[in-house]
Amino acid sequence: MSDNTKKILEMLAENKISADEAYRLISAIDAGEKGPSESSRESQSKGDTSIKGKSKYLRVTVTPGDKHVDPQHADRVNVRVPMSLIRAGIKLTALIPPEALDKANNALREKGINFDVRSIKNEDIEDLIDALGDMQVDVETAKGESVKVYVE
Amino acid sequence: MSWPPMLMHIKVRNVKTNFGCWIPLFLFYPIVLAVLLVLLPFILIGIFIAWLMGYGNWMRFILKTSFTMFWSLRGLKVDVQGRKDIVHFSII
Repeated sequence: MSDNTKKILEMLAENKISADEAYRLISAIDAGEKGPSESSRESQSKGDTSIKGKSKYLRVTVTPGDKHVDPQHADRVNVRVPMSLIRAGIKLTALIPPEALDKANNALREKGINFDVRSIKNEDIEDLIDALGDMQVDVETAKGESVKVYVE
Repeated sequence: MSWPPMLMHIKVRNVKTNFGCWIPLFLFYPIVLAVLLVLLPFILIGIFIAWLMGYGNWMRFILKTSFTMFWSLRGLKVDVQGRKDIVHFSII
């Protein structure tokens, strides 16, 4: 056990930090000790989908779930969008006029989100799209339909 | 290597319509290329004028992004199946 880990555990025992914070700090220390090359090798062996170029499609599916009253006549949706198309499409947002961005900023502020849309850079968008690989939305509606959004 | 969209499949089926077709996009490419070659002088003049007016970078960005978007269309699939209607659209 390293000195840093010991200190974190002591802080946890003294109730200076929460268990969640302690876990995050210890994880950060572990990642730092292993070094970036080892961590990346580890993530590759685990089949991490966030690796650039791995995710190819964004899928949106709506299928009748087990609880659906009439699965034979239920609505079904299956949409597959290439990630490269999303990347190119997002780049087109650069063409949005500043007035529209101001309106978007104001709308966000009204909802309590103090965020400037103009501060999003191309690199951030790339990171955001890469991070989509870890996203999975799974919603079961009251009608018994199953809505899934994921990246494959 | 990524390839441009080669085929487009559209299928619409409801009470009134039963329509489906395959559009061989790859057959249009030589025609589009020929038209572009014929229009090239005008396109170059247009780009030159746009550049002089300060819209050069803007135009280059639009052309590049549009081309990338078109190239990325391969693999797009939309399949909606309702109680009476079916709409299927895919680009291969």
